[in-house]
Formats: sequence, structure tokens, C-alpha cells
Amino acid sequence: MNEYRITQESLQAFVAALVADGLTVLAEAADGSGYARLAADDRVAIDPSRAPSRLSMKEHFFPKSEALFEYRREDGGFVLVDRLPEVRPTVILGARPCDAASIGILSKVFNWDYRDEFFNRRVDATIVIGMLCAYRDEHCFCTSVGGAPDSIAGSDLFLVPLNDGALGMRVVSDDGERFVTAYAHLFEWGAPGDPLQVDEALTLPSVRFDAEKVRGWIEGHFDDPYWSAASETCLGCARCAFACPVCHCFDIVDEDRTYGSGERMRNWDACQFGMFTKHASGHNPRAARAQRYRQRISHKFAYYPSRFGEVLCTGCGRCTRGCPVGIDIGAIAVEIGGMAS
Amino acid sequence: MTESATNDIRAAARRLLADGTVSVVIGYGDAGPNRTVPIFARTAAQADRLVVSHSALNNLTVYLTRALRPVGGRIAIVAKGCDVRALVMLMSESQIAREDVYVIGVACAGVTTSMGQPMSAETVAAKCRDCIVRTPPLYDELVGVQCEPPATSDVLDRRIAEIEAMSAHERFDYWAAELELCTRCYACRQVCPLCYCTQCIVDRSVPQWIETSASPRANLSWNLTRAFHLAGRCVGCNECERACPAGIPLSLLNRQLAATALREFGYVPGIDPAAPALVGSYDLADREEYIR
Repeated sequence: MNEYRITQESLQAFVAALVADGLTVLAEAADGSGYARLAADDRVAIDPSRAPSRLSMKEHFFPKSEALFEYRREDGGFVLVDRLPEVRPTVILGARPCDAASIGILSKVFNWDYRDEFFNRRVDATIVIGMLCAYRDEHCFCTSVGGAPDSIAGSDLFLVPLNDGALGMRVVSDDGERFVTAYAHLFEWGAPGDPLQVDEALTLPSVRFDAEKVRGWIEGHFDDPYWSAASETCLGCARCAFACPVCHCFDIVDEDRTYGSGERMRNWDACQFGMFTKHASGHNPRAARAQRYRQRISHKFAYYPSRFGEVLCTGCGRCTRGCPVGIDIGAIAVEIGGMAS
Repeated sequence: MTESATNDIRAAARRLLADGTVSVVIGYGDAGPNRTVPIFARTAAQADRLVVSHSALNNLTVYLTRALRPVGGRIAIVAKGCDVRALVMLMSESQIAREDVYVIGVACAGVTTSMGQPMSAETVAAKCRDCIVRTPPLYDELVGVQCEPPATSDVLDRRIAEIEAMSAHERFDYWAAELELCTRCYACRQVCPLCYCTQCIVDRSVPQWIETSASPRANLSWNLTRAFHLAGRCVGCNECERACPAGIPLSLLNRQLAATALREFGYVPGIDPAAPALVGSYDLADREEYIR
């Protein structure tokens, strides 16, 4: 495996060079809010032990709100104007494995029965530099859903902390190889030194549940009273869904900007909202809180896995850390797994 | 808030459930070091999971008008002073009848800003600094011993003074930049005990009064509309700020609303259940002519 050695100085020079070349560089912001854009002279800190930001990086590929096209009334009809996004070449620096993995999971949906150009263009224009994750808390469960703190899935290049404080950058995709060549003069080439031998950094979090068993239970228990019990304290906001790196539901609405013209918008939506499934007739097939919560868990651990062969969850734990009432999706999967055995 | 308060809560909950006074006790359940989660205790075993601590962050009165509205009968709720203020507002706005709630009031020594934190001068919630309800204004029984939380800085007041010193344009730009971060997850609304409308204006789609896009313009419409709807009503529990994934400093808006209600009308929301609600009453002595 090709590998470079990066010191703090060469990392700063790398980011400055990327910005100077007109690339957008995104990294988890120091304030913990989410992935934010770096300026050329921002101090760049790669900290594999830092807690995950509140929001994931999915907004970069799937914005919380975007115009799909414009419309305007003309001669008794409507004229439609395409609005494909202006996509800038982008580097995501220090993506956690549980975030990098989201790209593949989202891509399956956004290319399932229709190729979503908005999403695909952004993915195609992005180089993901992943980072070995040394953060652990009771809400992490990547290893229960097919991931790992050292997984390269979704990354083009991958950073590993070295025991002398520098970073090793491994080339893990052809895109990564092509991309990094232009900047290779900034780094040292070849054996970069020993990877950090810190138990905490390299010990895998224990597997908490068997996702296949969870799927099996869900498929046979659509009307189980468990759903009411599990969702009793849920207040029905979308903090979990919007923080989630792989929740991808959206609403499409027309918004007039002036009389007779406007934009068709695609906005994040969430199955926890009462409006999500409300029909024009007024009927709501998921009128109750428990039905909506069942949908959230079933989609992640049964419906998506049945269709696409993996779980709709990377185990990042953002939903649980952020939930204002402390609902713990990992604990729920463990509970369901327990009921299955 | 101590171990003895936790024991008192458990004993009260077991007694109230056993003698049939209530069918459920809404309280704080132990969720590990410096963490609690809301729980609905219906059995003695569940009552023994109840705790009170500096991590009792949630304002549980939100459940009185949400999950438990259909339950009927009397409900017991564990409530700090700031939570009871929300309950008082719900009563003065005719959302809850006094006799339908059994209030286990907590004499409060302050709470932390977020879960997982031990209590210290750095972690104590800003709202606790000048709390006027360390003993709740209303309760059926009281647990805990009132004491002062760790001294903290007047960070909210200083920030508000900075914002007030801005020109109107600067202030608009400040809030526009903050509110641009809003994702429209509505966690602020869902955790708010006083956001109890059965249909929120933002969910009214025929016509769509407020755009649902998380665009700068629509985010301003949504957040300012919500702030206006809470003017003279918000009791400053700041659960909205705690719930916000975008880190929008909603407590600044909340505090400014309260300061305005006090300055203009001498009104403090959520203290006196017999006092008419500010936005639900009028006064012939009002200085605005149109109201007379």
C-alpha cells in the first residue's frame, strides 16, 4: 500500500495548496457543530480522539434544502429551467469511518430506480480523506453494523496517526492516487513510521448486537407492543434523522419567489414528523407516534437491509448523543436482538 | 439535590401509584454517570429507577400536552422550579387543570448545560444564575433541599448587551447568520412545553404560510414566528437551545422576551397561576390606545 508521511507543517501547506487551487476543503469544525469549510490559513487539526460533530457530512452531498429547477408562468403554460448545482471540487479532510461509509449507503438509494444527478455530481467531485477513529463512547457501535474504526470504506485516502505525532496517509483508491500525485511534493514518500500503537486507538469496540437477528425480529413483529414502549418518551422531532449520516428522506415543494415563478425545492424530511405521511385527504397511515418510531427502526434495520444488503446505519451514535430525551438506538437494537434469541 | 431527594422521589412515586392517586409518574430515570432520561413510571419497580440530580435537565411538563394528553386521570410529574413555571403557564392558558396534575416539586440546586457533565462553575446552566424559583412556585409535595448552584458568569447578559449595542442592521445580520444554520428539525418546538398547538403554523400547508425549506429567508420566518408566539409566555427553561443541533443561541431570544415582558408590562410568566396570561388579557390602563 502506498503511503505518505505528513507532519503538521505539511498538513497546513496541503490545505493552503488545495484552497489556492480553488478546492473546497471541509473538516469537522472545532466547535463540534459539523463539517465546515476551511480557509487557507485556518489551523488544521486532525484529532482522531475528538467526539463526532453534532451533524454529519451528508449535507455536503445532500443539502438540507436545494432547488431542483425553476418554473415560470408564460403564455398560459409553464417554462421549466434546469438548475443543476454548481459543484466545486471538494476534499473532505479527516472523515470518520462512520461518515465515509455513508457515501456508499446513500449512493444505493440515490441510484436505485433513478440516478440522482444532484447527489452524484457532488460525490464525483469529492475526494474523501478518511481518518482512523480513536474515539469511543457508549453510543458508538460501528462494529455491530459492518463498520470499524479503521475501515477505509468510502475513503480515497486514509489518515493514520503515527507514534511520533505525524500522520501516515494511505492511498486507498484510484481517485485518491490520481488526486494526491499533484500534492505529493508536500509529503514524504514511503514508509512513514510506525502506526500509533495505542490500545485505545486500535482496539475495536465490541459488537453489541447481531444485525441479522434484529432484522429477523422486526420482520415478524409489525404489530408488537414493543414499538409503543420503545417510543414512549419520543417527542417527534427530527434531530436524530437530520444528524444521521444516512437518513435520506426528503420532501419536494414548490415555492413561489414572485407571482407566477418560483423554484421546486427538495428539503430534508423525516419519518418522525406527523406531516410526513399525511395524505391530502387528511388520512394519515402513521398517525401514532409508535407507528412512526417503528418506521424509523424498521427502515434502518429491516427494509433497507432487505433491499440493499447492508444496514441503514453506520453506528456513529449521533442520533443518541443528540436526542433531547436520550433515546438510544444502539440499546434498542440490543433489546430487539435479545428478543430475537 | 442529593441521594435523599432521590429516595424521597421514589417513596413518593411508590405511594402515589400504590394508593391510586395517579396512574403514572413522569420523572427522571437514571441513565449512567451524570445522565438522566425521561421515564414514565407505572409500577413500583419503575418508580425505583427515578432519580433527581444536577443532570435532571429535561422539562418534563412537555409530556403533559403531548404523549399523555390522551391518558386522562391524574398524572404525577417531577418538576424543578423552571419546569413548574411552564406548568403554571399551561394552567393559566387553560391547557391543564390543576387537579389533573400531582406535582412532586424539586428544590433545585441548579442543573448542568448538557448531559454527561459533572456539576461545576464551568458546566452549570446559564439559566440557573439568577433563577427566581429554586423552590417551585407550586407543588403538592416538595423534595430536596434548596441550595445555591455554583457561581457562574453573567455570560447571557453580557451577550445580550453586546447584541443590543449593535445597530439594527448589524443585529439583523447577526441573527440571519445564526438562523441560517437551522435545519428545520423542529426539536426546539417539540421539546417546548408551551409549543402545544395541535397544528403548528409551519405545518399548515394550505396555504403554506411559512416555507419549509431550510433556506435563510424561510429560517428567519420560522424562528422569528416561533419567538413571537412565545413572547410573554416563555419561561426560559432553554430546552430549545439544548435540543438544537445547529447550536443556535435561542436562550438569548428567550431572555430578551422575558426582559421585554417585565419592562413593558411588569409581567413574569409562570409564577402565579391565578394571574391572567399576558397575551390572553388586556388592561384598560394599557398605554396603547387601540386596546382601550
